[in-house]
Amino acid sequence: MLLLEQLLNGLQYSALLFLLASGLTLIFGIMGVINLAHGAFYMVGAFCAAYTAMASGSFWLGGLAALAGSALYGLVIETAIIRRLYNRDHLDQVLATLAVVFFTNELITLLFGRSPPAMPTPEWYGAFVEVLPGLMYPVSRLLFIGAGLLVAVGMWLLINHTRLGMLIRAGADDHEMVGALGVNIGRLYTLVFVFGCALCGLAGFMAAPLLSVEIGMGEKVLITTFVVIVVGGVGSVRGALVGALLIGMVDSLGRAYVPPLLDQLLPAETSGALSAGLLSASAYIVMALVLLVRPRGLLPARA
Amino acid sequence: MSAHLSIRGLEKSFGAVKATNNANLELAAGELHAIIGPNGAGKSTLIAQIAGEIRPDKGQILLGGRDITAVPAHERPRLGLARSFQVSQLYPEFSLLENLAVAIAAREGRSFGFWKPLSRDRSLLDPAFAYLQQVGLAPRAEDRVSELSHGERRQLELALALAQEASVLLLDEPMAGLGAEESARMTEQLMALKGRYAILLVEHDMDAVFALADRITVLVYGETILSGSVEEIRGSQLVRAAYLGEEHA
Amino acid sequence: MSRRIIIDLACLATFALLPLLAALLDEPFLVSLFTRLAIYGMAAASLDLLIGYGALVSFGHAAFFGLGGYVVGIVAFHTAQLMPLWGWEGSNSALIVWPLALLCCALLGLVMGYLSLRTSGVQFIMITLAFSQMLYFILGSLSFYGGDDGILLNERNSLPGLDLNDANQFYYLCVALLVGWLLFCRRLVGSRFGFVLRGLKQSERRTVSLGLQPVRYRLTAFVIAGLGAGLAGILWANYALFVSPDMAAWQKSGELMAMVILGGVGTLLGPVLGAAAYLGLEQLLSLWTEHWLLAFGPLLLLVVLFGRQGIYGLLMKGADKPRRARARSALPPLAAQEVRP
Repeated sequence: MLLLEQLLNGLQYSALLFLLASGLTLIFGIMGVINLAHGAFYMVGAFCAAYTAMASGSFWLGGLAALAGSALYGLVIETAIIRRLYNRDHLDQVLATLAVVFFTNELITLLFGRSPPAMPTPEWYGAFVEVLPGLMYPVSRLLFIGAGLLVAVGMWLLINHTRLGMLIRAGADDHEMVGALGVNIGRLYTLVFVFGCALCGLAGFMAAPLLSVEIGMGEKVLITTFVVIVVGGVGSVRGALVGALLIGMVDSLGRAYVPPLLDQLLPAETSGALSAGLLSASAYIVMALVLLVRPRGLLPARA
Repeated sequence: MSAHLSIRGLEKSFGAVKATNNANLELAAGELHAIIGPNGAGKSTLIAQIAGEIRPDKGQILLGGRDITAVPAHERPRLGLARSFQVSQLYPEFSLLENLAVAIAAREGRSFGFWKPLSRDRSLLDPAFAYLQQVGLAPRAEDRVSELSHGERRQLELALALAQEASVLLLDEPMAGLGAEESARMTEQLMALKGRYAILLVEHDMDAVFALADRITVLVYGETILSGSVEEIRGSQLVRAAYLGEEHA
Repeated sequence: MSRRIIIDLACLATFALLPLLAALLDEPFLVSLFTRLAIYGMAAASLDLLIGYGALVSFGHAAFFGLGGYVVGIVAFHTAQLMPLWGWEGSNSALIVWPLALLCCALLGLVMGYLSLRTSGVQFIMITLAFSQMLYFILGSLSFYGGDDGILLNERNSLPGLDLNDANQFYYLCVALLVGWLLFCRRLVGSRFGFVLRGLKQSERRTVSLGLQPVRYRLTAFVIAGLGAGLAGILWANYALFVSPDMAAWQKSGELMAMVILGGVGTLLGPVLGAAAYLGLEQLLSLWTEHWLLAFGPLLLLVVLFGRQGIYGLLMKGADKPRRARARSALPPLAAQEVRP
């Protein structure tokens, strides 16, 4: 039962990571931009959701606001900054998007203040359902898992069965070819970027009632998101899914099983410190191991 | 003459494409052996395998009787293999002298020097200058490579290969992109090297090949279909059909 | 006299005369500010060795800064508590503690560099980031040493003939080490080794074909750069009398990168100026508003987008044909990657 619950928790964390990583990996795969500001859009989404829901009293309106707010902010940032970075080296991209992070964090602080808002939720949201006989699980987390699943299926349909998806695949292969097809590549880039930001908004909306809405929440999860896309293979959405599941599961199962295991092996004081350290570093340890065996990730985009 | 470098049954595929397919070749000491073949015949891939940049799927590469198929690329120069590149691989930010000095320090195993400035090290610069003289670039010794013309870069490619003091030179289209006059000068320089090195020359310029080569091997679809003297290759119907027909019709 | 030498001398004179100026103006905090500046300048210059000369964009350079500081902190902790560390009663002598800390940094550099250098491009950026985050979390989990709160030190390490607790003496020591480090780095990039490192950035294929194994040279550079940042961390622990996991956090690595780019990539002295600009701006802007990053963000953005040569490049503008390589342009172009769902 514990195992099953931990698996569900892992799935929920994986869903969060996938929502962020799928957009990030597309942005890197297609435009070649390392975007440290990706987490900022997640934070913007969470703040928009929390404040709109508080002001209007409507949970779903909060969700709408999160999607719209993140997408809009993404549009502004892409137009003003990101599109100047497409042909720059990685160092420029890292620093320019880092600057966006600095700026956004302070902007949000100025607009909303430092105290973290609590997002109001409808009654059903806090309820538990019996997913299996004897296993009660909160609706809120199931909703999160559902959103991740929905996006994964949607992405697959989008990329494999639509014209936009074809362009995305082609754009990653060969920029000039897409240009030659008469497609405005700049518009395609903007679209992909804003789409990625909207997914961040969705993640922010889902996370707002569950996790604390605060300044810096973006960076915390962003670094793990980077780990996910590097583990999965940069540029590959399928890789992002696999990476998100791997990291999510390792985290949640590690939390459940590593401390008792270490307690048996080591004296109490050392094992406590060690397991805390191991758990918080688990994603990075997984990444280092994966890169040692497969320097290009598990499912690299280019075979 | 005994073979100094031999290639036996080399095969290499990239996905479904067979870039090298049963390639066989013998290069004797002091011999200039040309490889010709149509575009996409896998000439550069073959050179890259001999130099160790690409690992063949099958087959053997022997140097002086020793199997070097598994020796990593960076260890082959020490065994006497030097190469030049079809697309110049130079250090554009360094001067010509510095380019050669890096090569000489590498050959002498002195690259792990942390203190003495390379640009003032006479023990490197003097021999570097000598190689530049040999290819006629001495007047430009202090200039940056980024300021060189294409023809001059091809000359420097050759000088870098010479500076490695190898017994085998793998020259990948040294005349690529050169004008008639520059080609003639490069041919002259290669002529002067004949006999001193075993040279494997990949080249499209047929006049140069016929003037320089002791032997010619024809590569088609990664396969060495024919080896022979200049006269034999010139006279071969097979070669005319497969290759020369395209350019010398 | 060339422009470059004038800049060198101007910087040197500023550092040398600063305590006098601070005394004249009766602003002792200037000495403290410039001590920070010298320490960060050293860390930034060491990162420049990797980014500017090796085209190795490390996003984990703060790991060395943190480790260097923590070794000093941990030894000081044991020494002060009279609590032997694996049978060693500890020491407060810089001549013992500092080399020990540097040794740890060299080991970290060897391991982290060896593993990271198996990758390149964006994966290299990310795996260096991952290693430094690993260290960050490990340091934070050392509850015995204060966990996230870090360690407070009672006093600075001792050096024969100097009183490091004296602000001016400590300042001059930092400046001397900075100058020594910069001279060493300049010498290094002009040496045979330096040419191989810079050559790898321009053409790896050529370098291999000359018979050189890239990883050996890159790893050596990685370790040397790590030692520079480690020394800066050692000095920081002594300066602040405080170490915490934040020293190894990714924000710190980002700051160091920002300093390098502000000052000018591949110039060594530039990143020191970049550190000065960064710390100076932080000081000034935070006097004006606590939201100083609101202004600093766009400023950094402008420099990245438009001021490609940084402060050093600006100072050198128009000087006769700079011999130093413009490192940025030679960073490998983006390899956009295929997407396959």
